[in-house]
Amino acid sequence: MNASELQPIEQFLQTHAPFDVLCAALIARCAREINIGYYAKASAFVEFDPVNPKLYLVRSGAFEVRDPQGVLVDRVAEGECFGFSTLLSGEKVVNKVAILEDGLVYHIPQALFTELRTQNRQFDTFFTRAFAQRLRNEHKFKAKDLTTTSRITNLMSHTPISIEVNASVQQAAKLMRDHRVSSVLVLQDQQLVGILTDRDLRNRVLAEGLDGLACVDKVMTKQPQTVASNALVFEAMLLMSEHNIHHLPVVDNQQAKGMVTSTDILRSQSSQPLLLIGEIDRQSSIERLIHVSKQIPVLLQNLISADARAEEIGRVLTSVTDALTRRLIVLNQQLLGKAPMAFCWLAFGSQGRQDQVACSDQDNGLLLAHEPDEFAAAYFDKLTHAVCKGLDQCGYIYCPGDIMAQNPQWRLSLQQWQQKFKKWVMSPEPKALMHASIFFDMRAVYGPQTLFDELQDSVMSHTKDNDIFLAGMAGNSLQQTPPLGFFRKFVLERDGSEVKGMDLKHKGSALINDIARVYALSAGIKEVNTAKRIRALMDANIINRKDALNLADAHEFIAHMRLANQGYQATNNLVVSNYLKPQDLSSLLRHQLRDAFKVVHDAQSGLKLKFTRSF
Amino acid sequence: MVNHLWLKSRFWLDSLSKQQGSHDRQLNEYQHSLTQQFTRSIYDADLMAIDLEMTGLDPINDQIISIGLVPISKGTIPLVRAQHLMISIDGSVGQSAAVHGIVDHQLQDALPIDAAMAWLLRQTQGHILVAHHAPMDMAFIQQSLQNVFGQRVLLPFIDTLMIEKTRYLRQHGQLVEGCVRLGQSRERYHLPVYAGHNALIDAIACAELFLAQVSALGGLKQIKCHELVGLSK
Repeated sequence: MNASELQPIEQFLQTHAPFDVLCAALIARCAREINIGYYAKASAFVEFDPVNPKLYLVRSGAFEVRDPQGVLVDRVAEGECFGFSTLLSGEKVVNKVAILEDGLVYHIPQALFTELRTQNRQFDTFFTRAFAQRLRNEHKFKAKDLTTTSRITNLMSHTPISIEVNASVQQAAKLMRDHRVSSVLVLQDQQLVGILTDRDLRNRVLAEGLDGLACVDKVMTKQPQTVASNALVFEAMLLMSEHNIHHLPVVDNQQAKGMVTSTDILRSQSSQPLLLIGEIDRQSSIERLIHVSKQIPVLLQNLISADARAEEIGRVLTSVTDALTRRLIVLNQQLLGKAPMAFCWLAFGSQGRQDQVACSDQDNGLLLAHEPDEFAAAYFDKLTHAVCKGLDQCGYIYCPGDIMAQNPQWRLSLQQWQQKFKKWVMSPEPKALMHASIFFDMRAVYGPQTLFDELQDSVMSHTKDNDIFLAGMAGNSLQQTPPLGFFRKFVLERDGSEVKGMDLKHKGSALINDIARVYALSAGIKEVNTAKRIRALMDANIINRKDALNLADAHEFIAHMRLANQGYQATNNLVVSNYLKPQDLSSLLRHQLRDAFKVVHDAQSGLKLKFTRSF
Repeated sequence: MVNHLWLKSRFWLDSLSKQQGSHDRQLNEYQHSLTQQFTRSIYDADLMAIDLEMTGLDPINDQIISIGLVPISKGTIPLVRAQHLMISIDGSVGQSAAVHGIVDHQLQDALPIDAAMAWLLRQTQGHILVAHHAPMDMAFIQQSLQNVFGQRVLLPFIDTLMIEKTRYLRQHGQLVEGCVRLGQSRERYHLPVYAGHNALIDAIACAELFLAQVSALGGLKQIKCHELVGLSK
């Protein structure tokens, strides 16, 4: 038979992705091997043949894929496919496909599907992508609602009660009574300028003997602390406990969007990380602090088993470390006396980036407002030794590279730090830079933000658009490559028993951190958290939207795999490491992981092109 | 439509009247292989959609140009088993070439009618034929069998046009011109429009229509073959 005799079917294939990328000969073969099925709405669900899985290409009609819990995974209409998850993963069909409208479906046998994927890379990528996407959707639907990882927007009041700045306190009190609220936002020209609470009316009006005509302006709290609506509930709680306040205006893009109160949060359940941080803040001795810190691994396990996002787990755990560090500084200052000058406790590396996980070591330093005299030097020597020792006893082991505040080399005045960075940036030696990269992920955990800003601003002013420095940083970050070859090898050795494992940290997460750092430094972006850096780079149009979202997805996915793996290792009493053995993965997850590594690979190519081209 | 016992007895009587030549044995076997299908459901039965292209509409004076065949098996249409056969004819394709798009040079690989009929019997043995406006196709097949083997065969068939006619009359009371043609019928089931026609594509189109019709009538596993079968001789 002559191939073109199935022309209407071939034509349909030729005009629908991903079949449109196939050559004429493959299209003809494909048309020839199709088995046409008819699905009537009356039969409700598509019956799957467990022995002969196949790809279903919808020719007419409409279908709906739902997971075993009945949650919608995908809607499929003319020219779209279902059934590929099973073909790719080799796992049995668990999803149900409901027939919404009668229709014809082309069945493509597994053997042919596999052959088309081998013959055509684009065809293959189309399905692995679609598969990953569907998996992410499934994941999104399944994500547990953990208080610590839920957002302010879910519990804030969305209709903020506000009053003009020149109103009287009596008007404000009436407004609060009528709306039965305990606080109002104070606006001037639509901008939030203050907040007035029940407590202000008592302490600053009644107790001061002012009358009802007093202007709101005089008694309100000016420039109040605020949160963004997409902030974690947990971050709002931290702000409240740090500043001893009960009301937080919610502000997005300088616009007041609502209010969140401590009662709102309490109502949304108490949560474990907060209890832990609360406990840390209450401890009055270092011994007790060490005792409390024993709960951190349990917290990590809980977060992992609750299936929280890896990025959020990192932020929660880092917040605990931050709280612990601050408490250690405060307790030790109580022993040593008040500090002789302003200082910042700097966190570098993973703590700086807010992506700490289990068994992190310390990376920290001290920033002093100015050159210390002999007394000050001795004071900070004692303080930093005490804090670093405390951290070590709490489970954050001493830094093997000695990058710690207790090392005089990393306990410097503002001016000395500025010079240090200047040296790295202006005369970069690749080797020195290699060790310096963690310093560029820095954050002040304790101390005045203004002092830290001064340091960060000067660093940024040197790195921004500094081609030689950026080329050095980019070159370093390209020394490691994602383990794509590993998958080929793995495919060859079907059971993978010969294979040791993939280093998800150094060949995965770290590469993405490197990429985001180089771009951020080149553009003068101050964020240090990798996800936030990528977001900022996307907003500034430095990385295009698609690449940025892919990179952020890959970052989250690899980090998630690493955490899940460590959770598995911990519960099975194995050594907790960054190594993942592919044989422990379903082929479904392997596909996704390979996809994530491909994204890293592509991003590295982009980095190379942009920064190292001319050197 | 008919009782399966009645169908079987027709076949039994027919075989009694046969002489025992080699052609007769072949045709007898062919008939016998069909009788087992009647009590099966549409889902379990072995069916074959067929479409013929002819030089005209008169079975005596016109000839078959091509045959398209595709099986219907377990409620699906396996294209891998689809067949398209060209038949060499006396004289030229003539007028009908405009309709079918078949020109003489394409018929060069074609089989002569006697070989084509033997091929058809081999391909369809054990399968009940399904066609749109089947009596016309059956008439051409019977005439060709008569010409080649000197006798006709008792052929059970399913006519998708008849199914559609019955259904349309039940729903609308009277027919409108053209309403039960293959294209219009398919439209009512929201089946896609196929550009271009040849015997194979029309056979596939007919098979698809048939699956849609049986689904609408109550389901492939519920409807039995004999409920839809007609007989031709």
